[in-house]
Amino acid sequence: MTSILKYGTIDDKILEELRAIVGDENVFTEPHHRAIRASVPAPFPLHKWSEHTPDVVVLPGSTQEVSEVLKISNKYKIPVVPRGGATGLADGAMPLRKGIILDIKRMCEILEIDEVDRTVTVQPGINMQELNRVLEKLGLWFPDDPASYPVAVVGGRVGTGGWSLVGAFGGHVPDLVLSMEVVLPTGDIIRVGNGGGRKIRKSSVGYRLKDLFIGHQGTLGVVTEITLDVFPRPEVEFPAFFGYNSFEHAYENAFKMTTSGLRTLGAVVIFDEEKVEYLRRDDEAYIPQPKSIKSIIATVMYGTEAEVEGAKKRLFEIAEKDGAIYLGEELSEGDWASRHDRYALPLHGRRRSDWQVVPMTWHCEDAAINHSQLPYVRKRWHEIASRYIEQYDGVFDDWGMFMYSNPPFRPWGDYLTEIDIGINELALDEETWEAWVNMKREIAEVVIEVEGSISACHGGTREGDVEVCVRQELKDGQFELMKKIKKMLDPNNIMNPGKYMLDEAYQEG
Amino acid sequence: MVELLSYKKFYDEPLKKDEPVSEEITKDCYTVFACRHKFCREVCPVYQELRNESYTSYGFHAALLSVSRGIESLGNMKETITYCLECGACELRCPNTLFGGDFYKRRTTTVDLVRKIRRDLIAENEKPNNWGEVEKKIDQYKKYYNSSPEEIRQWAKDLEIPTTGDTILFVDYFTAFQETVTVRTAAQILMKAGVKFGVIERPGLTLGELYETNFDEWLAHAKETIEALKSAGAKTVIVVNPHEYVYLTREYPKYMGSLPFNVIFITEYVAKLIENKKIKLTTEVDIKATYHDPCALNKFSGIWESPRKIIESIPGLEYTDEDPVSQWYNCCGNGIASFKELHPELSYRIGTSRLRKAADLGVQYLLLGCPHCKDQLSEVQTKSKINVEPIHLLEIVAKAMGLEV
Repeated sequence: MTSILKYGTIDDKILEELRAIVGDENVFTEPHHRAIRASVPAPFPLHKWSEHTPDVVVLPGSTQEVSEVLKISNKYKIPVVPRGGATGLADGAMPLRKGIILDIKRMCEILEIDEVDRTVTVQPGINMQELNRVLEKLGLWFPDDPASYPVAVVGGRVGTGGWSLVGAFGGHVPDLVLSMEVVLPTGDIIRVGNGGGRKIRKSSVGYRLKDLFIGHQGTLGVVTEITLDVFPRPEVEFPAFFGYNSFEHAYENAFKMTTSGLRTLGAVVIFDEEKVEYLRRDDEAYIPQPKSIKSIIATVMYGTEAEVEGAKKRLFEIAEKDGAIYLGEELSEGDWASRHDRYALPLHGRRRSDWQVVPMTWHCEDAAINHSQLPYVRKRWHEIASRYIEQYDGVFDDWGMFMYSNPPFRPWGDYLTEIDIGINELALDEETWEAWVNMKREIAEVVIEVEGSISACHGGTREGDVEVCVRQELKDGQFELMKKIKKMLDPNNIMNPGKYMLDEAYQEG
Repeated sequence: MVELLSYKKFYDEPLKKDEPVSEEITKDCYTVFACRHKFCREVCPVYQELRNESYTSYGFHAALLSVSRGIESLGNMKETITYCLECGACELRCPNTLFGGDFYKRRTTTVDLVRKIRRDLIAENEKPNNWGEVEKKIDQYKKYYNSSPEEIRQWAKDLEIPTTGDTILFVDYFTAFQETVTVRTAAQILMKAGVKFGVIERPGLTLGELYETNFDEWLAHAKETIEALKSAGAKTVIVVNPHEYVYLTREYPKYMGSLPFNVIFITEYVAKLIENKKIKLTTEVDIKATYHDPCALNKFSGIWESPRKIIESIPGLEYTDEDPVSQWYNCCGNGIASFKELHPELSYRIGTSRLRKAADLGVQYLLLGCPHCKDQLSEVQTKSKINVEPIHLLEIVAKAMGLEV
């Protein structure tokens, strides 16, 4: 197959036009400005850094500027990669065909707070912490709560179809977006919502086009304004952690918790045995537990005082009846409060042969897995990781698994299941990068085997995942339809080209 | 006091334009790059204004890593590396520092790295825009240094302070020649409390601009200062300027080992005097105020408690607190060294943001613990007309003591 498209080169004339749109001070061509925007937290092939370094960095300040930049890109056929907080784990903001990085973090205003109809309208570059600092003064709460809560921005959360830790209570990003202004690859500005309503939560009018612009990983346009649902701030947040003597023990109890019918449950999170062992070994923020505790369930409840008071009694009964041990207020409140810092440190990497510290980046491989399949997936994923660690000791490390209740507004049925892998990027070369990609592919194939989805919260756009996603997960006509939509909206394939293998829409033969 | 000393000796080896970056520096930069979660970005006062992640701890470390990989050349970083206040927020917020830095001896040290890169670039004759302003400031301070003893002590002309003593009030050239009110107030408070103290005749230059330009010259001045304090008989040195406090407690010991006297910051000393009833706060000061944590105190030295203790003991004062961890996000916009000379407009923007935050709390006064903050925010207030008056908390203490200053 050959591509029917050729990209233009960014020359001085195009740079002049870009500067005229956003101002000289918002266009950067020096290599380091571009190089630092080549990667996101997903493992990065440092040995191939230049291949992912964009040609120019542009920092727009308004919808109109975004539109003008896209018109120029479309005219000269220049790839554009939108970049939000750059905290994604699916390489959404990593350029595959160079071009323009459109860094939208300057667009960070709160445009309107509607206390009567309970919405907030924002620009895409604001993060959840900044937003909630303002909302909390009015007794309001935007409940999107990813691990990257203080750093990820709303635009990126929309572009990746983000998942919230407390989604069982407050829903996830796709459930919280009411309407959006989107700049299409041609530069046209449209608004999508529930029907034509800007602040309406349910409509039966038209196609559900809003959903098309959630989780597209920057392949269909750039969101420039978002109207979000806001909640009353809950009277009570009550975290409770329980200890178990095995993963199986925790797993059985998690079923009872998630199916208990308690509407206040915001999250049920299982820490598997490898995760508890890792935390015990290395995490300074973690309060160590006795050796008999092998697995943990973290729960959190939200609601009015009366609701939570009643619900927590019921939750403790469920836990204690199964022999779980309540781990106390200190761990429960402390660990829950530090959840946004619960990233593994680079210095937690270990070489297994001599147990020496090797700086590694943390990576979370995530999938949506049904409850019935968790033990099987857990066993297979650790086996896969062990095999690669054995072969490439000091390059990879297994930091255990978390399983988080996954559905919006209810905790039962399936889990965001993650295995945390440490990777020493300084040691990457062609061989070890290939090994990493193969490890990911194997991990993703287990998910297909159990009819899960290869990502609950990041996206399926990375090397290693993407073939499994496109060829296996989306094989029954979905990928074919995605290609048609992509080509219709983006005739010159300028928006984040290469992602989701959508280049194939423009190939012949 | 919180022990924050973290000295990476491998930073002493200069980076040179056409030579490879050492393996140790590469690993150091990688440890920040490997995190990539960018808490450092959000806490940065420069980022909060410009929203450009090139000018963050992640940006600086990743940029130097790109130099080590041959993607960028060092000289191209000369403007980028000036976009740092050296306020220290990023290195505190870094998970490597918070959760493992001391244990693994790999605390993130962005300020040291920025200072080093600036210095190494100047040595390579790579000067950023506006560099002339920095040179002018260094020249100005050299003039101060070469002034007569009478000129240097002009701020204390009628106070009759000896030049020796067990206890020395350390007065640097900024407070001796420019923001003189703070140090004069401090001296009067100490006198009224019955503290016997001296002021040395001629300290060396402590200037941050010199530290990040000409290390050898800066160190020679540092040695001169220590010698002068020693020969004056100092056993305790009270410091009024937080920037100087950082040099005396954190920077000088890196190169000279522990100093032969105790160093104490003025708010720690005054809080003790109040506690021991040596200072009596009798006059009501009927104002609504909040407090700005100076970067050099809060972020570098872990001193945030004593200023609050003092403020809370002022009769009549209605105090609204912003907690010190939230204040990691704040800076007056002056920065620790050359930031204001290089970026006057940006410095002003950061200052206005700080004053607006205080105004949002509905207070009349923003209390300060640093003469540089006072100089900067007074200028910003005059220009912006934001309705909050910056004032040093020692001036309020003096009022409550019934002192005319």
